[in-house]
Amino acid sequence: MAGQSDPQSSVFSAAEMEFLAEDEIIEVVPNMRMEPLNLISGDYGPFRPQIAAQVPLWLAVALKKRGKCTIRPPEWMSIESLTQVLESERDSPKEFQPLPFHYVEISRLLFDHARDDIPDIYMVRSLIEDIRDVRFHKVESGLETISARTHAVKLKNLSAMEVNIVRPFVVRTLQSFYKHDSPEMIQQPVQMSTSRPQATDRGPRRDLRRR
Amino acid sequence: MASYYDIDDILAEEEFIPVVFQKAATGVGLLDPSSETNNIEQGAKVELPFWLAHELHTRQAVVMSIPSCFNQMTKKEIQADPGSVDLRNRCQYFYELGCKLAPMVSDRTIGSFLLYAFKNRYKEVLSKAHTSTFIASTKPLTLLTKEETHLCDAAQSSMAAFKKWRIGGSRFERPAVLGKKRKPSDE
Repeated sequence: MAGQSDPQSSVFSAAEMEFLAEDEIIEVVPNMRMEPLNLISGDYGPFRPQIAAQVPLWLAVALKKRGKCTIRPPEWMSIESLTQVLESERDSPKEFQPLPFHYVEISRLLFDHARDDIPDIYMVRSLIEDIRDVRFHKVESGLETISARTHAVKLKNLSAMEVNIVRPFVVRTLQSFYKHDSPEMIQQPVQMSTSRPQATDRGPRRDLRRR
Repeated sequence: MASYYDIDDILAEEEFIPVVFQKAATGVGLLDPSSETNNIEQGAKVELPFWLAHELHTRQAVVMSIPSCFNQMTKKEIQADPGSVDLRNRCQYFYELGCKLAPMVSDRTIGSFLLYAFKNRYKEVLSKAHTSTFIASTKPLTLLTKEETHLCDAAQSSMAAFKKWRIGGSRFERPAVLGKKRKPSDE
């Protein structure tokens, strides 16, 4: 994709992920009066004092910096829903809970720019940290299951930042496994003197391993 | 994956392979340190770098045998405890060389042996690459081959980049031209 900082490794930098996350829509409550903004991505506004408006995150941050609005933290950033997500993350060792695709980036942007708009910011912040840790641990234990017959990895509900972190490693691993498992490399599955379970009973090469 | 300019691919071909000459060769005595004349006799055992052995092999001048890193002893060790075998010391380009060697030698098990070694070493060492801290991981890192080191580096650098972003710091980099004072022009 054009505009990546490191085209060789097919990975976005964290700052680039943050940039992409800034297009997410968020609710603000302006304290000024302004005509609607007609942008390429859509029309936002009109802005009336105390009337909530939907704007992209970058616009919300820009208005917030100038003291023109307060940001309403999204539904999922409340303590109740985060606690619930954390509990179900811990309960189900295989599945990921649905969270916004950019939850890591959005939460950091809000923590940086709108601390006074988030109630119980310390609690929310540590909950999100915990959720991220639990989820990443799950990703890592899932990585252990990659083996020679894995040809694709299904990661439902994984967020952008989490995918981006494991991307270089997973791509290289799958490439290596593919190289060493190719039919030219394994000529005849000759049994060695000791047990070699993977040499026998080789199934067809296209199975999609569920995670 | 291997491109013409891939330095690892080039270096992997520098590894020495024991070969047996099928034909006598004149004028290449320098390849065999033990030869007294400038010739190599038929049946002489010599160690040649892979790129040379490969060329001679295609012309059926030599027969390749298996280098020490693929011998029976190494296989036994890897079957016993894949994660703690020091493959870097034996052959840095274990996997790359094995892939190149596999179609050319009589031992048909090299391909599946490579897969077995990679699979089990991956499970023991590499799948922990993201969270293992640098201090804890220095010891296993010395055992890894080039390919495995690349994997570990990929994992750790992306994790380090993420942590750096999370801790934050200045979001905008100030361009170098902005802070400078304008030089008074002479005119």
